[in-house]
Amino acid sequence: MIDTVLLYFFAAAALAGAALMLVLRHPMRVALALIATMLSLAGVYAMLGAHAIAVFQVLIYVGAVMVFMVYVIMLLDVREPTVSHRYSWLLLPGVAGFLLLLGILGRAVWQGLRASATGAPYGVQAFSVDFLNDYWLHFEVVSVLLVAAVVAAIAVIEVGRRGSRG
Amino acid sequence: MGSLQFFGWVGVALFAIGLLGVVVRRNVLVMLMCMELMLNGVSLTLVVFAQQAAAAAATVLVFLAFVVAAAEIAIAIPIVLLLVRHKRSLDLDSYADLNG
Amino acid sequence: MNAAPTNLLTAIVLLPLAGFLLNGLLGNRLGKGFVTMVGCGLPIAAFALAVKCFLDLGPGGNLLLIDIAYTWFSAGKESFEIAFYFDRLSAVMALIVTGVGSLIHVYSTGYMKDDRSYARYFAYLNLFLFFMLMLVLGRSLLVLFVGWEGVGLASYLLIGFWFEDPEKAAAGKKAFITNRIGDAGFLLGMFLIYTTVGTLDMDRINAAFMATPAPMVSASLVGILLFFGACGKSAQIPLHVWLPDAMAGPTPVSALIHAATMVTAGVYLVARMSGIYLHAPEASAVIAAVGLATAFFAATIAVVQTDIKKVLAYSTISQLGFMFLALGVGAYGAAVFHLYTHAFFKACLFLGAGSVIHAMSGEQDIRKMGGLAKKIPVTFWTFAIATAAIAGIPPLAGFFSKDEIVWFALASGRGGSALLFAVAAVTALLTSFYMFRLLWLTFFGASRMTKEAEHHVHESPPSMTGVLVVLAGLSTVGGFLSIPHFLERELPLPAVKEGFEHYEHFVVAASIAIALAGLAGAAWFFGSGAARAERVRLAFPTLHRVLLGKYYVDEAYQAWIGKPLLWISERVFLRFGDQRLFDGTLHALAALGRGTAAVLGRIQTGSLHLYAFLVLSGIATALWWSLRHV
Repeated sequence: MIDTVLLYFFAAAALAGAALMLVLRHPMRVALALIATMLSLAGVYAMLGAHAIAVFQVLIYVGAVMVFMVYVIMLLDVREPTVSHRYSWLLLPGVAGFLLLLGILGRAVWQGLRASATGAPYGVQAFSVDFLNDYWLHFEVVSVLLVAAVVAAIAVIEVGRRGSRG
Repeated sequence: MGSLQFFGWVGVALFAIGLLGVVVRRNVLVMLMCMELMLNGVSLTLVVFAQQAAAAAATVLVFLAFVVAAAEIAIAIPIVLLLVRHKRSLDLDSYADLNG
Repeated sequence: MNAAPTNLLTAIVLLPLAGFLLNGLLGNRLGKGFVTMVGCGLPIAAFALAVKCFLDLGPGGNLLLIDIAYTWFSAGKESFEIAFYFDRLSAVMALIVTGVGSLIHVYSTGYMKDDRSYARYFAYLNLFLFFMLMLVLGRSLLVLFVGWEGVGLASYLLIGFWFEDPEKAAAGKKAFITNRIGDAGFLLGMFLIYTTVGTLDMDRINAAFMATPAPMVSASLVGILLFFGACGKSAQIPLHVWLPDAMAGPTPVSALIHAATMVTAGVYLVARMSGIYLHAPEASAVIAAVGLATAFFAATIAVVQTDIKKVLAYSTISQLGFMFLALGVGAYGAAVFHLYTHAFFKACLFLGAGSVIHAMSGEQDIRKMGGLAKKIPVTFWTFAIATAAIAGIPPLAGFFSKDEIVWFALASGRGGSALLFAVAAVTALLTSFYMFRLLWLTFFGASRMTKEAEHHVHESPPSMTGVLVVLAGLSTVGGFLSIPHFLERELPLPAVKEGFEHYEHFVVAASIAIALAGLAGAAWFFGSGAARAERVRLAFPTLHRVLLGKYYVDEAYQAWIGKPLLWISERVFLRFGDQRLFDGTLHALAALGRGTAAVLGRIQTGSLHLYAFLVLSGIATALWWSLRHV
């Protein structure tokens, strides 16, 4: 019972954080709202039994990605017109499209799923065994992708330096 | 336990909110974060479907999506930094140089 | 008929080709001595080989030589060989081509001595000989056609030899294009033969048409198509217009190509394909009519021409008409006989004219000559002999051959008639008249030259006069060799009509009388300063103008064919078809692309927000559509 309540609480918190992201003015507050959403999602994952995903959600997203993001926000800290003028001229069409998408896609997903969750836990151990038995090749390929990303990041910075010099 | 239908719908909602954020917000960093939100929505949907089908593959895919997200942000942030250095602004409307 | 294999025929054909390659590629570097050696030596060698082959034919003549040089290509069961064929007809042609050709090469060494493009000239001349030999020796119509086109090419190159002059270049083009029109008929005839007979070897085609059952094709249709090709090459009405213009080339070229050899290719073709024409009385009648009309009209034009080479050109057309008349009445041997004698005396006339032009430093208008007989005696005497020969004065060569033709025009069992005889006789009279007129105006009477030109007049070098003497000698004695009798086995003469045997002596007498009448007429009209001729001209101004304008055939072609073609090309094909339809379509497509790009370019605002919104609405629409329909 308490589990179900927690589950719906986390889901509601995630939605609320997401909604806040749209309305908050300062990027730092948006970042905090996103972090809240992500943590709530980690809770949802854990409650649904996907423990491994929950752990990675916290470690990778909150621990790495969002820290990086917050750091950049602090680094730039520009006085911006975007703070007072949050929205682009596409606000109204955007909202209309959003509602349409939500209606269509939500309905399709709703029809594609069962009413009740099985709740069978998919623990770290089971995940690890599956992962390293069946998906080790994907794992290695992803590491190549990561290396490429690192090289690309360095290249982008290098281009920027040259551009500013020239 | 709760209804999988509801959590699936939450995933869709997160994705749609993220996309809406990309459309309407002007700040580049906020737009980047909205994209992260979209990714999270997708991850949630994947997990929900994994629960229904009891498939390991979906879970693994979520993990791989995390890695891709990390890679993405590692490149996106330097690009944003360069843009800001070039234009002295985070306002996306000042980047409309590639208009036809 | 037993055929003997040989390799000499290939050698005959290839020798001039070697000359062409040597002179064409190396001639300019190795100097005039080398060019002369190669250019004259190789044709003479080819002549020697032709004589050797001729002797190989044997006294009984029951032998023919076949030389299969190379299998050109084979398609399925059919194979096309480059094979050469040497029977008595080929022998006569090959000897004329190489013999007269060699003489003219020798003459050219004197005539072209100071030309800048000496090597190029001999290269072209050798190239011509190569193709001409291919034409006369080829066994298959295909090989003949290669030679046929090749001599056309060589003729084009040599007519436009001095291509810096646009008029001469245009004359070359005219000759080429007019020939192409005839070639279309020739090609159609070849296709028709191949589809029905299944071979292009001429001896086999003749045999097929002689055999029973005959091939399932109208011999007259094939014959007329082939004759159309012959018309183009041999300058018969309606394709005769190119030959007078072809006189723009160097005079030895006119002698070799446009008098002695190439233009007689049509005669050779019809004689060679006589197997078809023997079964095609309609085609033969057409040939006789066209030949006689050409002979007559060309002769009337020749009467008023004032350019020495133009007179000879129309004379050539007229004589070719005579040959076709003979072919039309089935006297193939007589046609080849006239071809043979004509090669001698017409080459002699042209070369004599060349010698005159040489002496006059390039002047060709006979109104500005006169009294040259004493100044250039060798040229005069040879020219006079050749003139007498073409006019038909016995015992010179032309008398025999022309008498033969006139006789068969009257008495041939294959379409001879009194009408043909009468027109032929009148034409013969005209021939004699205009030739003696030419002789008179050029060599007799008072000099009408300018003082300066008179001062320069000189006899040509021995290389030229020597050739003139040889040709004059051949014009004198050539007629005693009875070619029709020699060719009897391959080209049997037609039977004489019932009851006409007694007229033979009458025709001979008439021929002699006609020739002498022409001589007398020319002497009377042009003897005393041409005053009488002048009176006749003033009495019939319209006739004179029409003749001088060559019946306005060129103008008619221009007005009725050239102009409409130009109009269609300009209006329909260029302006409508090319500019409006094709260019217009392409421009419209380009404009469509540009317009679309301009519209779509608006979407490229550079605004990421808009792009993201488009993604949003795109996803929504795609999902909506797929959920509705899938």
